[in-house]
Amino acid sequence: MKFPRLPGRRIMIGLFSGLFLALGLLLLRAYLHSPSRGLPYRDSFAGGTSDEWKALGGTWELVNGLMRNDSDERGAKLLTGSPYWHNYSVEADIKLLGTSGDAGLIIRSSNEEEGVNDYSGYYTGVRTVDNMLVLGRAAHGWQEIMKPYPTPGGIRPFQWYHLKLLAYDCQIAAAVTTRSNAAPTVVAINDPGCAESGRVGLRSYSSGGVWRNVVVHPATHEDLVEMLQGVRAQADSEHRNQAIWDSEFLGSQPHSEEEKANAGFNANTQSIASLSLTSSARPTSATVRGVVILTAPMLFVQDSTGGVYIPQPTAPPLKVGDEVEVAGDVHPGDFSSTMEHATVRVLWARTPMPPLSVTASQASTGKFDAEFVEVQGHLTGKERSPDNTLILDLDEGAQSFRAIMNPGRSDYLFSKLKLDSSLRLRGICVVDSAFTHNLTPFVLLLRSNEDLEVLAGPPWWSTGHVIAIVVASLLLALVINFVYHRIAHWRLEAVLEERQRLAHEMHDTLAQSFAGIGFQLQAIRNRLPENNTGVLQQLDLARDLVRHSHEEARRSIATLRPESLESEDILTALDLCARRMVEGGTVQVVCERAGDQRPIPLRIADTLYRIGQEAVANAVRHAQSTILTIRLKYSQNLACLQIEDNGTGLEETNGLLGFGIRGMRRRAQSISADFHIESKPGQGTRVQITASLPPRITLTTWPKLFWRYLREYWNNARSSKYADSRSYRG
Amino acid sequence: MPDLRNTPIRVLIVDDHPVVLAGLSSMLGTQAGIEVAGSASSGEDALEILLSTPADLVLLDLRMPGMNGIDMLHALKRAKISVRVIILTSFETDEDIYRAVQAGAQGYLLKDAPQSDMLEAIRAVHAGRRYFPRHIAARLAERMMRTNLTARELEVLQMLARGLTNKQIGSALDISGNTVRNHVNSVIEKLEVSDRTEAATTAIHRGLIEVND
Repeated sequence: MKFPRLPGRRIMIGLFSGLFLALGLLLLRAYLHSPSRGLPYRDSFAGGTSDEWKALGGTWELVNGLMRNDSDERGAKLLTGSPYWHNYSVEADIKLLGTSGDAGLIIRSSNEEEGVNDYSGYYTGVRTVDNMLVLGRAAHGWQEIMKPYPTPGGIRPFQWYHLKLLAYDCQIAAAVTTRSNAAPTVVAINDPGCAESGRVGLRSYSSGGVWRNVVVHPATHEDLVEMLQGVRAQADSEHRNQAIWDSEFLGSQPHSEEEKANAGFNANTQSIASLSLTSSARPTSATVRGVVILTAPMLFVQDSTGGVYIPQPTAPPLKVGDEVEVAGDVHPGDFSSTMEHATVRVLWARTPMPPLSVTASQASTGKFDAEFVEVQGHLTGKERSPDNTLILDLDEGAQSFRAIMNPGRSDYLFSKLKLDSSLRLRGICVVDSAFTHNLTPFVLLLRSNEDLEVLAGPPWWSTGHVIAIVVASLLLALVINFVYHRIAHWRLEAVLEERQRLAHEMHDTLAQSFAGIGFQLQAIRNRLPENNTGVLQQLDLARDLVRHSHEEARRSIATLRPESLESEDILTALDLCARRMVEGGTVQVVCERAGDQRPIPLRIADTLYRIGQEAVANAVRHAQSTILTIRLKYSQNLACLQIEDNGTGLEETNGLLGFGIRGMRRRAQSISADFHIESKPGQGTRVQITASLPPRITLTTWPKLFWRYLREYWNNARSSKYADSRSYRG
Repeated sequence: MPDLRNTPIRVLIVDDHPVVLAGLSSMLGTQAGIEVAGSASSGEDALEILLSTPADLVLLDLRMPGMNGIDMLHALKRAKISVRVIILTSFETDEDIYRAVQAGAQGYLLKDAPQSDMLEAIRAVHAGRRYFPRHIAARLAERMMRTNLTARELEVLQMLARGLTNKQIGSALDISGNTVRNHVNSVIEKLEVSDRTEAATTAIHRGLIEVND
């Protein structure tokens, strides 16, 4: 026997695998939470990738290998790294793009949200307004330590500064150097109850900025001391490209204070909407004022009345959000105007203009041409155009449109976008056929990938998912089915084992005692004188009774023994059983078999065998038959066992058999088998059990089986109400 | 041959069950011509007794803890103790009978056999004959003849011996050709032969099947 199983071993195996799993999880957690995972870090802006950075506000773009934020937004952030970084330093080269704000680095940042100081961490930056090196702590609020920057001329835009920020335990130090003045200006704070760990970030406030060579190193106490002693900062200026250092990004002329002062107000400015009223026949020059809404690839300016496209302007470096005055030749279009040969003057920087929320069909009318709008849509396609811009095809309702993004920072997002997602996009609405190619009524020019927001992924009920779910549930059903049968099988094996034990027990005690007592009685009888007839008769009776009991015990043992099923052939087993029972008699046993023999589950086989045994025993003992026929028929998913005799039939011996038939019926019910008994006085008895076999499930048969199962289930449900009336009276 | 009347048959009873042991001793003790030479409750004890006090005949139970009946028969053979053995058991399977006879038992009795049968058996075996009750003899013969072929395999074998192909057998028995092939393979394996033809000849030779035509 396969028993006893070793539950202890299984528990041990389960325990160990659980332990290993827990250990693995702990190690993984320790790795993920490691305060130095991914350190040292060096940016790959020069290589054109920045997938690991996450933006909160701003218009972050990679331009010529530099990270650039053109927005004057207050507190635009770009973050990366592990939230578990603890003692480390971050340094970078920074250039300011405006005169009224600051730009710098964040350390130990967590809980970031979009907003001015909506993060928890430390920030250092260079500020133009008051020529300060700023260091302070943000905790959804701002505490600042300032230090005047000593170089003549102070902090100027369009000049590279090297900033370094270091956090060791609760001491935070910041230093700034320039190429011309390598002696660092250092500020430091000791912040008891400091922010323990967090990510690094780039941040700008009311000014655009450009960052490069972002490097993060683990920091030691020595590093901190060295920095505080004002030792020449270990700037990796050796690595720097001299050309980049000297060259100015996008021209070198900042709009200085004087320029601002000179700006004044041109009394002749008109609203942008009024430009369309100018005659198209004769070029007219005009002056408008507005806010820059897009700088690259082309310049768009918008005021409260509308937007205007300015090709090839004569302009200083512009940032989104700059208030400008534009003077040029007006070419009114169908929906918006163009200003050629324009000169742009920056008046001052202001907060970028918020988008106007419109529907796609409103945008398609052209009313919002050259304006900054926000539209929602479903992604129907995406492609990369020959000139390497990223194109999204979208539709909202029946209205389809396109969105164009710059490559670089958007590449990663672009590759992650799933078709059929619901998107919210902000950009300049353009109806000019130069952009639309007459394919869609309008095109959105996105400023950066922060202008694209995924509202919802594609719906889960895509064909692939549905198929996967169906397949998974089928597999699960198969597994459950298998496990169920396995358990049923184990249970039966336990029953069979117990029966065997019982048989052995009876054999060793009951049967032996009967035999011994029989011998003892015989011995007494042998010793008694032959003339004592009364006692002799009683003794003979007692001896016969004991022998009878012995036979009964042997029969019980025989029925308990499962040996007959080990061949897995019920018919052979029943044949053997019948032949044993009819031993020495005149009953002829006939066995017949039909159909393809196939393995029968142990439970069903055992039950069929027990019922067959009972039926054979009835036929042999009580029916006085001469021929006993045992038939076993196999069909597609049924096994049918018939035991037929030509004896006296049931009626005469009904009283005796009632119990046996009830037993057989109960056994048949336990495997949901059909039990029929036919009997007429003098014409024999026929017992028939039809058990359904579990279907053989293969890849090719399961759809058929499933369909049949459904049909049978339906039929059963329909006929169950009549079933009760048909049961046989036992 | 010694005079049976004058020299009693010395019988050793081996049974692990004390009630049986006591009963048999009492019963056989009352019989003239039979002397209970001793009783043992295990095969090991019995062998020890046989070495010191020779007996003519052993009444041997099959199921005993430690050395069982069959083991003891083998041990007797190995120890070259020539003693006649009657198996006396309360339950029999074909396999038990078969193995006991193979191991050298000369008789086989069930414990509920009447006294007359038992005495007859003891005398017959002592006289050098074998004693098997009619139904046990029949089953023994059947077991000797039978291999562990199933009824279906025998059917297939029968047709195979008549020279039918798998396909013909299949249509005759209403089963598929593949199933027939499986049966044939299993027959070949069980009879330990190399091919169909040899299976048929072996089967006929051993009387497993009969070929009438």
